[in-house]
Amino acid sequence: MGSEKTDEELMLAYAGGDLLAFEMLYRRHRGTLYRFLLRTLRHRADADELFQDTWSRLIAARERYRPEAKFTTWLLQIAHNLIVDRFRRQRPQASEEETEAVFSKLDAPDSEQPERALTEFEQRRRLQLALEDLPDEQREAFLLRVESGLGLEEIAAITGAGRETVKSRLRYALARIRARFAT
Amino acid sequence: MSSHDRDREVDELLGEGGGRIGDLYRRLPRYEPPRRVDRAVLGEAARAVHSGKPPRRQRWIVGLGSAAGLVLAAGIAWRIGHDAMNPSEIAPASEAPSVVPVEPIDEPARAKREESAQPAAAPAQAESDAMQSAAGASHERQDAAPKKEVVRKTRAPAKANAQPAAAEPPKPAPAPMAPPPQAFPGSMEQRARTQDDLEKSGKDKLGYSETGAAAADKRAPAAARGVSSPTVPSGSIELQRDMQLPPHDWLAHVRQLMQQGRRQQATESLRLFVRAHPDVRVPDDLLPLLD
Repeated sequence: MGSEKTDEELMLAYAGGDLLAFEMLYRRHRGTLYRFLLRTLRHRADADELFQDTWSRLIAARERYRPEAKFTTWLLQIAHNLIVDRFRRQRPQASEEETEAVFSKLDAPDSEQPERALTEFEQRRRLQLALEDLPDEQREAFLLRVESGLGLEEIAAITGAGRETVKSRLRYALARIRARFAT
Repeated sequence: MSSHDRDREVDELLGEGGGRIGDLYRRLPRYEPPRRVDRAVLGEAARAVHSGKPPRRQRWIVGLGSAAGLVLAAGIAWRIGHDAMNPSEIAPASEAPSVVPVEPIDEPARAKREESAQPAAAPAQAESDAMQSAAGASHERQDAAPKKEVVRKTRAPAKANAQPAAAEPPKPAPAPMAPPPQAFPGSMEQRARTQDDLEKSGKDKLGYSETGAAAADKRAPAAARGVSSPTVPSGSIELQRDMQLPPHDWLAHVRQLMQQGRRQQATESLRLFVRAHPDVRVPDDLLPLLD
C-alpha cells in the first residue's frame, strides 16, 4: 500500500489537530511499546502506568515533534527516560564485575548445553525467565532489538550509550540467556 | 564458546529475523495493553486536541493577564519598599506613645476615636486587602499583610491626630486584579480529574478488578499532567522564556537557577522541560529536583 502514511507524517498530522492520525499511530505502536515496557519492568501495573505516561508525554509535546527524528526512536526515547527514572528510584544495577562472573561460567562446550533437547514450551519459558533475570540495561538493549527491531545505532541513540557498549550489552544478554538454557 | 562465536551470535541477533533467539522471542505471548488503558490514552489525545490547546486569542489573554499581574506585583513591591524607606511616615509613629492608656469602656468616646482614625485607617485597610488578594503569589506576603495592618491601625490614631493636614496623599487605588495565571492549568486539571472520575465510575460499573481501578487511580495525576499542553504551562513570563531556549541552554539555565539558590524556580522550569522535551534525558545532577 504505497499511499499509507508514515509514522512521521501521522505525528505531524496529529500535532496539527488530526485525531484520526493519532489513532492510527497508536494502533501501530501500542503492542510493541507495551511489550517492551512489560518485559522491561516485569510488572503489569508498572507497564500500564508507564505506557500511559509515555503517550501522555508524547501528546503534551506533540507540537515540538520534528520529523527529523524517527517517530519510533522518539517514542522509545520517551519510554526509556521514564524507565530509567523508575529504575533509579527502585534499585541499583548489576555491576560489570557480576556480569563478568556470569560470563566466565558460561564457556561450557556446546555438547553440555542441552537446549536442543528442550521442548518448545520449555524453551519459551526459559527465555521468559532469562529475560526477567537480565540486568536492566542488557534487557532493555535486547528488547529494543528483538521487540522493536532497532539496530545498534538506534539503540545507542535511545539509551544514550555508545555503539560498542550496546553491542557489548547484547553480547552479555545472549550469554545469560544461553546460560539459562544450559541449566 | 570463543569470542568469535559470541560475535557471530550477536551478528545473528542483529541480522534479519534476529536469529534463533529472535525467532524464539517472537513465539512468546504477544501481550497488549488493557482496553481501559487504550481508552485513557485515546481520551487524553482527544482532549488535548479539542480542549487542551487554547485558541490563539486565549493565549494572548493569558499573556496579558500575566503582564498585568507582574505590573501589580511590581507596584506592591514598590509600595512596600517606599513605606520601609520613607521616614516621614514612620517618624510620627515612633514619636507616639508606645503604651496606649487604658480607658474605661465608653461608647461615645470610642465612637469619637474611631471617627478620627477612619480616614487614615481606611486606606491602610484597602492596601492590606489589595495585598492579600494580589499575593495569591506569595505566602510570605500573605503573612506579612495582617501584621502590617495591625501596625498601621495602632499608628493611625496618633498620626491622624498629630498631623491631619500632612497626612499621606491619597494613593491611586490598586489596579483590578488580573485572574491569577495559575488558575488556568488548575481548571484544566479539574477537568481532567472530572473526566477521570467519570471513567472510573464507568469502570466500576463494568466490574473492573481492584488492581485495575487502583492503577487507574494512580494514573489520575499523570493524566492531568498530560492533558495540559506544554505551550500553556504557567503564567510565568520567565517560564515562557525558558521554553524558547534550546534544550541544552534550558538545562544550563536550570543549573544556573540552582546555583543562584532559586530552587523552586529551577524545579518548575525543569518540570516544564520534561514535559516539553520528554525525549531528552535529564542530567543526573538535576534529577533530584524532580523528586
